[in-house]
Amino acid sequence: MLDVRDLNVFRGSTHVLKDVSFRVEEGELAALIGANGAGKSTTLLTLSGLLPPRSGTAVFTNDGEPLDLTRASSEKIVRAGLIQCPEGRQIFQSLSVSENLAMGAYTRRDRAGIKQSLEEVYELFPILAERANLHAGSLSGGEQMMLAIGRALLAQPRMLLLDEPSLGLAPLVVEKIFDVIARLKSTGVTIFLIEQNAAMALDIADVAYVMETGRIVLSGTGSELANNDRVRQSYLGVAA
Amino acid sequence: MSQYFFQQLINGFSLGSLYALVAIGFSMIYGIVRLINFAHGDVVMIGAFSTLALVTAGVPWPIILVFVLAVGAVAGMSIEMVVFRSIRGASQVTGFIATLAVSITIQNSALMLLSGQPRNFLFPAFMRQRVGVGGVNASLTDIAIIVLTLILIGGLFLIVYRTRLGTAMRATAENLTAARLMGVAVNRTVLAAFAIGSALAAVAGFFWGGKFGQIDPLLGFVPGLKAFVACVIGGVGSIGGAMMGGYILGLAEVLFVGLLPQEYSGYRDTFVFLLLIVILLVRPSGLFVRQVEERA
Ligand SMILES: Nc1ncnc2c1ncn2[C@@H]1O[C@H](COP(=O)(O)OP(=O)(O)OP(=O)(O)O)[C@@H](O)[C@H]1O
Ligand SMILES: [Mg+2]
Repeated sequence: MLDVRDLNVFRGSTHVLKDVSFRVEEGELAALIGANGAGKSTTLLTLSGLLPPRSGTAVFTNDGEPLDLTRASSEKIVRAGLIQCPEGRQIFQSLSVSENLAMGAYTRRDRAGIKQSLEEVYELFPILAERANLHAGSLSGGEQMMLAIGRALLAQPRMLLLDEPSLGLAPLVVEKIFDVIARLKSTGVTIFLIEQNAAMALDIADVAYVMETGRIVLSGTGSELANNDRVRQSYLGVAA
Repeated sequence: MSQYFFQQLINGFSLGSLYALVAIGFSMIYGIVRLINFAHGDVVMIGAFSTLALVTAGVPWPIILVFVLAVGAVAGMSIEMVVFRSIRGASQVTGFIATLAVSITIQNSALMLLSGQPRNFLFPAFMRQRVGVGGVNASLTDIAIIVLTLILIGGLFLIVYRTRLGTAMRATAENLTAARLMGVAVNRTVLAAFAIGSALAAVAGFFWGGKFGQIDPLLGFVPGLKAFVACVIGGVGSIGGAMMGGYILGLAEVLFVGLLPQEYSGYRDTFVFLLLIVILLVRPSGLFVRQVEERA
């Protein structure tokens, strides 16, 4: 579904991504872990068409239709079903909860379908239905995260890019978010998950990649990496 | 209520309407590109001269209004495409210099094209008659300005708060990156904000001649500056705040001149900028901006 090859991305004069290659198959949950500043968010921004790569390819294939993400506009990428839930939530604080969700469905025109997606999101996160008319900026951190995920779901993702959805949240909320991620996977949404919480990410990932200073240095199934000594020392906090 | 006070009130509201129309667009544009558009006032001038040209050509007034809205929209979109698009995300200083250059270019082109000679400009005679209600009366021009402005602002609020485009404009103004991640074609959304904001400024130009009786190529300077002050009063980047700021400024100016002894009237603009300084000191975020607190 997603095939990234030899991606090189610069931010300003900094060479951030160096020959990054990875694949995510349809229906899979892939995780990308790595230290602060490794280049994980840069990878996602590039995939969503917000950062132009210096070289390399990234092809997203949905229903047999390939889309070159390095050339497509962010609008076209969203329309193709590749949806990002960005780092730091980035909900629209000055808009109401329901307007935020409407923005998620911005590229859709199927009123009935949007209404159904909205009901599904409200069922998943009943608190959002209760707060529908409030300013999103008045929500708690956990509620804002639910809104960010709900907003992404209203776009009807075929593949969802999640950038650190657990960051700064209480353990109970994190559990809820991971539950939702697992449920989405079971409905056939392909997921690419970036996480600081490597233990939880590797636990639910089919495949995982480790990024260090802009390079993919390790890859394997979730359990392979969870048992890898280097990963255990650096990311799972297990003493050598 | 005395006729005198009523007259001042109507005067203030109609002047405030002009300021509000200019300030709203100024604020919409600032809100979405985070840069001050110093050429915004010149769109008022473009609107005024377009009106004069169409009046001279004998075009009926309602059609002139529609036409002036369109001229303003085109002017705003041109300013966006020629200047703002290439400096998006630039610093305030860059924006200041670039739009000052646009303003000077527009003013000097107009001076060359139209000469600096002020032109007489009057609404038709029937617009200048006075209508009375309950012992007080007001000029039809002022009433028309007030009512048409309210209708236009009402329409604007419907667009901004009730349509898909308006929601996208507000989202883009708050967070451009997130808006792009929603699939918003932000170039088009930004263009729409310039078009709508500048159309309103052009309508202020449409009214300008009718209210003051004369227009000249440099007339945009004052409304541009006053719009800035109105935005500071109401809270920069807030549309409702800009509108309120415009009305407050118009009323304050007129009442200042009208209610104080004659010898103070020359200090009108001093008073305006004093007001600006006081607000910057006391409430730098404006009178009407609710502080959205951000939680972790
Ligand atoms: N806007 C920017 N301009 C220039 N360099 C940037 C910018 N944003 C990030 N960088 C640099 O790019 C590198 C990768 O940043 P990125 O945000 O992709 O890391 P990350 O892996 O997502 O980190 P974190 O876990 O902290 O989110 C860092 O060295 C950072 O300093
Ligand atoms: Mg990051």
